[in-house]
Amino acid sequence: MLSKKLKILWLTAITCNGNTHSFLNYPHLDIFMDTFEFIYHPSIDSAYTLNDIINKEIACDILIIEGSISTEYIKADAPIVDIINKYASKVQKIVTVGTCASFGGMFRESDYKDTTGLHFDKERPTSLFEHIKEKTISLSGCPVHPDIIANTLYSIEKKRAIELDSLLRPKEFFAYTVHNGCTRNEYFEYKIDNHQFGKKEGCMFYDHGCHAPYTHGSCNKILWNEVNSKTRAGLSCMGCTEPTFPKGDFFHTKKNMGIPQYLPFGVAKRTYLTLAGITKAFHIKRLEEDLFDD
Amino acid sequence: MIKLIEKIEGEAKLNFSFEKGLIDFVEIEFLSTRNIEKILQNKNALDALVITPRVCGICNHAHLMASVQALESCYEELELSNRAKITRELTLNFEIIHNHFKWFYLTIMPLMGYKQYLLKATQPSQLMAKAIATIAGQYPHTSYSIVGGVVSDIGMMDLIKVENYIDKTLKFFEQNLVYAKSDEFLECNNSNKLLSKEGDLPNLVNKIKDNGWSNVGKSYDRFIAFGENSYFKKGKSIKTRLTTNIYIDKVQEASNINSYAKNVLYKERYYEVGPLSRAMINKTPLIKDSHRKYGDSILSRILARVCEIPQLLNHSKKLIKQLDLSEPSYIKPKIDISDITALGSSAIEASRGTLIHKVNIKNGIIQKYDIITPTQWNLANGTKESLGVSQKAMIGLENTQLAELSFKSFDVCSVCTTH
Repeated sequence: MLSKKLKILWLTAITCNGNTHSFLNYPHLDIFMDTFEFIYHPSIDSAYTLNDIINKEIACDILIIEGSISTEYIKADAPIVDIINKYASKVQKIVTVGTCASFGGMFRESDYKDTTGLHFDKERPTSLFEHIKEKTISLSGCPVHPDIIANTLYSIEKKRAIELDSLLRPKEFFAYTVHNGCTRNEYFEYKIDNHQFGKKEGCMFYDHGCHAPYTHGSCNKILWNEVNSKTRAGLSCMGCTEPTFPKGDFFHTKKNMGIPQYLPFGVAKRTYLTLAGITKAFHIKRLEEDLFDD
Repeated sequence: MIKLIEKIEGEAKLNFSFEKGLIDFVEIEFLSTRNIEKILQNKNALDALVITPRVCGICNHAHLMASVQALESCYEELELSNRAKITRELTLNFEIIHNHFKWFYLTIMPLMGYKQYLLKATQPSQLMAKAIATIAGQYPHTSYSIVGGVVSDIGMMDLIKVENYIDKTLKFFEQNLVYAKSDEFLECNNSNKLLSKEGDLPNLVNKIKDNGWSNVGKSYDRFIAFGENSYFKKGKSIKTRLTTNIYIDKVQEASNINSYAKNVLYKERYYEVGPLSRAMINKTPLIKDSHRKYGDSILSRILARVCEIPQLLNHSKKLIKQLDLSEPSYIKPKIDISDITALGSSAIEASRGTLIHKVNIKNGIIQKYDIITPTQWNLANGTKESLGVSQKAMIGLENTQLAELSFKSFDVCSVCTTH
């Protein structure tokens, strides 16, 4: 009997396999595997080998791409571009997992010629895969959260319309900023700018390079590994879901005349200055003390 | 005959030549590189803490730890609290344990003809990822360990949560891998006694024995481990003769014309790194017994790797008891890294063995960065006259299936090898 499961090809290009391993942290894999079948996956057993994938005609419903793409990159003796094109034409949807596959990401700087994401070189649209763009959903993140992968795949399976932003990312995950839901928000709101690493208190935006207010993502809404997030733990957001990742100088806030170079999305410099002036005029004892102080 | 080896965090090609029906030589070719070392050049030194974890999706945390220690070694004076040291060791232990479950259930069991038990791999590895995330924000790819300590300030309740993840993982081990109390397993110094038990580990190892493969995969019987912490010891062991005086500057990286991976040698000789090496250097009784009976074979390698699971879980419980949460997690370095010009290096024990990072910074900017990964030691592509460790383990075998088993007994990671 033919399997009714939706068939997925998980294809890796220039990558660290971080998205593969992030996906293995999906807590409901048992149920997931009742609905989906990998015709190939980097870790999970599949009915076909890589050579089969490249050389045979195998039915496939969804193509997942992990890793940056270059016309020079060869996988198992076949150009990655050819493998993508072979399956892209037959699948219902293409899903790029991770910032490398979506925008070029960390390995945009690898030595391969013209390394980019599937449809974007950072924010700039590229033309090589223009013909398959309407099928594509970009799930950025370094790595992408497993819930985002699984729930996007379920939406495809259930034939639900997915609303995308201009970078082809599902709005339900990427309309938020990473700042939304951070437990340190009060320190941000009242501009308590004396954050020190290793403390429960304080906001890393003012001095320690936190990108959360200007990074699209749901890290603090859906939480990592179901328990925490980088910013909750006291680590600055690195902006890993954005096409500009990696910006560099990750632990330091660049400033011009004392004003952070990058402001929260949609906040004009004048607005920021006015609000900062007001909040600085007040002293909020509770937020200036340690959380556990009486 | 060329065989493409897949699902090793990428691919590799093994090019076999046979003589009288036995493998006579095998060339190991890794097929791509990403040039992380070049990406790191001219970046701010602290950016290495974000970039190097991206070497590998499965041992990213080890790269973070190697990176932070290499940068800290650039300081003449740097204060680090015990709390930070213990916290780092804990999260690295959790990554090692998470890896070993995945290797056993996703890689080795299917190679031995068993069904791939995906959930047996992910259930305990997810618990370990949760334990890391509780402390470090997320897994994979956190950069919570920074020069001067760790960024997080976990509380007592967080530690209780972590302890529960450890206990649950131990329970998984006792109910799946070896049906015995882990204390009993840890005290066991007789591999035959272990193999008389039930569970996925004894079942698999007994199958190896029944197939007559107990001696398959033997190499030089030379082991080395540079990483040192409260559990692992540093040293080298050649046919059980142990020496503790080893020096990072004697580690050589040699280019390889046929592969993107570079070979790694110590004083011009190939050494095996990884759990079996660590067990030989730590003199773990159960593994010493297995080594006495079966040498440096796939059987000993499998036992050594799985044995680290309860060892490190148990040790982590002890480490948690030593944590003093009144100590600072982070002590700001007196000198900003932008004022540092120095050479630094580190060696830590990652899931697959010794991982070395070397850095040269000038006024806080990376001039040069070298990464030597465990798989470069084990999977060196040597010549017929001077075989790499895994090459030697495959010579003389009768078929490529056994060769693949031997190759993968080193827990191959393509992305690490070709960083």
